[in-house]
Amino acid sequence: MSGDLIGKSIPMIDGLAKVSGKLTFTSDLELPGLLYGKVLRSPLAHAKILNIDTSQAKKLTGVRVVLTGRDRLYPYYSVAGQSVLDEQLLAGEKVHYVGDEVAVIAAIDPDIAAEALRLIKVDYEELPVLLDPLEAMREGAPLIHPDQQSNVPYKIEFSRGNLLQGFKESAVIVEDSFSTPLQYHGYLEPHAAVAQWDARGRVTLWIPMQSPTLGRITYSKALGISEDQVRIIQMPIGGAFGGKLEYKLHVLCALLAREANRPVKMINTREEDFLSGLPRVPMQIRMKLGVRADGILAAKETEIVADSGAYVNYAHGILLSACHRHDNLYRINNLHTKGFLVYTNKLATGCFRGFGNPQVHFAYESLLDMAAEKLSMDPAELRLKNAIQAGDTTPHGWKVLSSGLSDCIRQSTNGADWNTKRQQKQENKRFARGIGLACCLHVSGNRTFLPYFDGACSDIRINEQGKVIVFVGETDLGQGALTTFAQIAAHELGVDISDVTVSYVDTDTSPHGLGTFGDRATTLGGNAVRLAAIDARVKLLTVAAAVLKTEKDELDISKGIISSVTNLEKKMTVAEAAKFGWAQLGGGLITGQGVYIPPDVSMVDPQTKYGNISCAYPFAAQVAEVEVDRLTGTVKVLNMVAAHDLGKTLNPLLAEGQVQGAIAQGIGYTLMEDMGMKKGIVFNRNFEKYNMPRITDVSPITTIFVESNDPNGPYGGKGLAEPALTPTAPSIANAIFNAVGVRIKELPITPEKILRAMEDSNI
Amino acid sequence: MNYRIRLVVNGFDYESDVKANETLLDFLRNQLGLTGVKKGCDGGECGACVVLINGQPVNACLVLAVELDGDVVTTIEGLDDEDSRLIQEAFVAVGAVQCGFCSPGMVIATKGLLDVNSAPTQEDINQAMVGHLCRCTGYSRTVTAVQDAADRLKARRLKQTILEEEG
Repeated sequence: MSGDLIGKSIPMIDGLAKVSGKLTFTSDLELPGLLYGKVLRSPLAHAKILNIDTSQAKKLTGVRVVLTGRDRLYPYYSVAGQSVLDEQLLAGEKVHYVGDEVAVIAAIDPDIAAEALRLIKVDYEELPVLLDPLEAMREGAPLIHPDQQSNVPYKIEFSRGNLLQGFKESAVIVEDSFSTPLQYHGYLEPHAAVAQWDARGRVTLWIPMQSPTLGRITYSKALGISEDQVRIIQMPIGGAFGGKLEYKLHVLCALLAREANRPVKMINTREEDFLSGLPRVPMQIRMKLGVRADGILAAKETEIVADSGAYVNYAHGILLSACHRHDNLYRINNLHTKGFLVYTNKLATGCFRGFGNPQVHFAYESLLDMAAEKLSMDPAELRLKNAIQAGDTTPHGWKVLSSGLSDCIRQSTNGADWNTKRQQKQENKRFARGIGLACCLHVSGNRTFLPYFDGACSDIRINEQGKVIVFVGETDLGQGALTTFAQIAAHELGVDISDVTVSYVDTDTSPHGLGTFGDRATTLGGNAVRLAAIDARVKLLTVAAAVLKTEKDELDISKGIISSVTNLEKKMTVAEAAKFGWAQLGGGLITGQGVYIPPDVSMVDPQTKYGNISCAYPFAAQVAEVEVDRLTGTVKVLNMVAAHDLGKTLNPLLAEGQVQGAIAQGIGYTLMEDMGMKKGIVFNRNFEKYNMPRITDVSPITTIFVESNDPNGPYGGKGLAEPALTPTAPSIANAIFNAVGVRIKELPITPEKILRAMEDSNI
Repeated sequence: MNYRIRLVVNGFDYESDVKANETLLDFLRNQLGLTGVKKGCDGGECGACVVLINGQPVNACLVLAVELDGDVVTTIEGLDDEDSRLIQEAFVAVGAVQCGFCSPGMVIATKGLLDVNSAPTQEDINQAMVGHLCRCTGYSRTVTAVQDAADRLKARRLKQTILEEEG
């Protein structure tokens, strides 16, 4: 062991660049001859395009290119690793939601581009609009995509154990329906892109993207060129939360740049970002849970209808995750699950922190409390009786190598003074306080949609000054991955972290990691960086051993000094060794490569959905304390105690930041946020009307880290950022029930819903 | 039609021609290249574009450039004095920064607050920051950062006073 950086609270290495405004985001980029692109979007939710007249727009001085889906046939657009070809780059025949891309324009300045948009005349013939997924999936409903058999592009069904037997053994059966809203990611940086083609027919895209490698796959298909002809230079990401995977604007920007033979920049206005982002998939969940008299979970039946919006994007994977993952949280063997993905004439949905888990955990964790109530059992005790343990193989084939779930439950309830507060409820005529618990799990480094590729790779170079540069395919979304990677490299190499730089991903020079999603960055990328640093260290020590005339095994590195463990006289700095190595290599640098492929992990079987999909599984429990105003129905979250099994805390400062940010986003999901629709258009499409938490809306948060030391995680670590949002909604819902005795089953939990429920139950 | 404006930005005099509908935000970003001023919503709701106009924090997207004549504007790029550096360091040290897109606006707002209130309470900070959206951090560290910055500035003043008395 070289350094002592693991477990240290190290501030972000790029923090000063951010707070000083010096970090260049995509929207800040300028290139010589840059044009500005704009999208003409459909004003109708479902309509046939009869005619598009671009003649006036093309005549406007300063306009360079106008493209529509009627001028030519573009290849279908579909995200990496899936085959539902339901989306076109530009709508030719039909538009499917308000915001659908109909035409694109490039002009010499943004004002001219905006003016040209107004000059395009599109004739539409309106078609029946389907906004409710239950209506859309009904037999005989008009088809949103007429080339498909129905409005249900994807169905899931699986069973485990013996459901009937399980329900027969149950002393208590609870059953209910739950629903969750469209949640907007709300990253502060709207989607943006800059594209430029070179003389050899290659395109370079400067984009804030979570997964440049997936982008290369998707965009090369959409542009009709080979993958190596797409170079993606990842720009700093101003917040992502799952929303900055593949995004069609990137391709449209490349199309315009090809046609104009000039670089083009496109930036979503905030309104466009609301209209055409890929928000969280809304779900309607019906769940039935049977529990034995002793509190053992006996059977569960689940049916989920997921509203995909106009296109599938990643929603099929999100639905599978919602159907499947939560079954591995507690020991339960008798299961039957059905899932339906349904098209509607709304904006397409997509990946968002939790990937289906926040939706289904809201239902499951609410239902568990309902069962506990019927059993007269403490909800924490009910969960502890069933919590998954390290060493378990679940009915879905997950091999749980580490689980701190029970500890999370114990520590979060202790930290929140659960027993006292459950028993002695504080209330007066108007205000009632309540406390509620919810748990969750997630994957960390799971298999993705690409059957042929998994894992992560890192290259490290040590220059002749002894400075280290790390290349890895996993991106920093603002969570601090650059810092964690630098920390790992510095730790293994025994150098100061200020001597380490981590490169942004450039698909020409970085290893092709799949990027950051599914809580994979630290787990897979971190392992790869660690191995690369160890590899580079060996090479560095080999050089030093020759110079110092000793064996490399005799040498150690600490604080940038290589010294013999037996003879302290024999020493040199890392910089000196690097310079010797560089000179010996004819100017070549000392390098290291690390390849990490998670062991014993497979994609799920397409039919049975069985398989160990991830190399590690994080767990969490959150306890919410709320105060409900009986007069107004408003809920104030007074306190959150969040216990997270993240395996090992590599950087407490950054880790705690993830929990705090996720809970704030979770409080928004629970109480405030919902993209409302009026005739198929999002009516609250700005930050004035879409209610995201502000500084006055968040509660104090106590974070507890449970270290279960996963055998596959780097230093025992596993993911944290996604599960940190999942239990927030059900913990608050359970606390509200505890406070005023009403159970709200539809997110967001607004004051109106609480007042109505209290009225209905005469409270 | 263009209008000529004269103003001081980050200590430099400018005489520029602006369109009637050009916001201060677009003027700063596009004409002066001050891209540390971020465009998050262009509607006065996120605070990413906050600058100081004559010392007051203002959303640059809500002001037309043509309205400014003879005014003094400070953007994040202009905060290069020792006090401002301490504010920025406080944000980084306590972990009040994640993606960084909202950070320049928050730092400017902190500067604006601490210039008139050297020991802000949580309520004061809430009031100064309620117009600033941050989706990453959950805000509790925003409060810590402002308080930490206030402490750093106070320590610096104390040190200066001691040095002056000694010297």
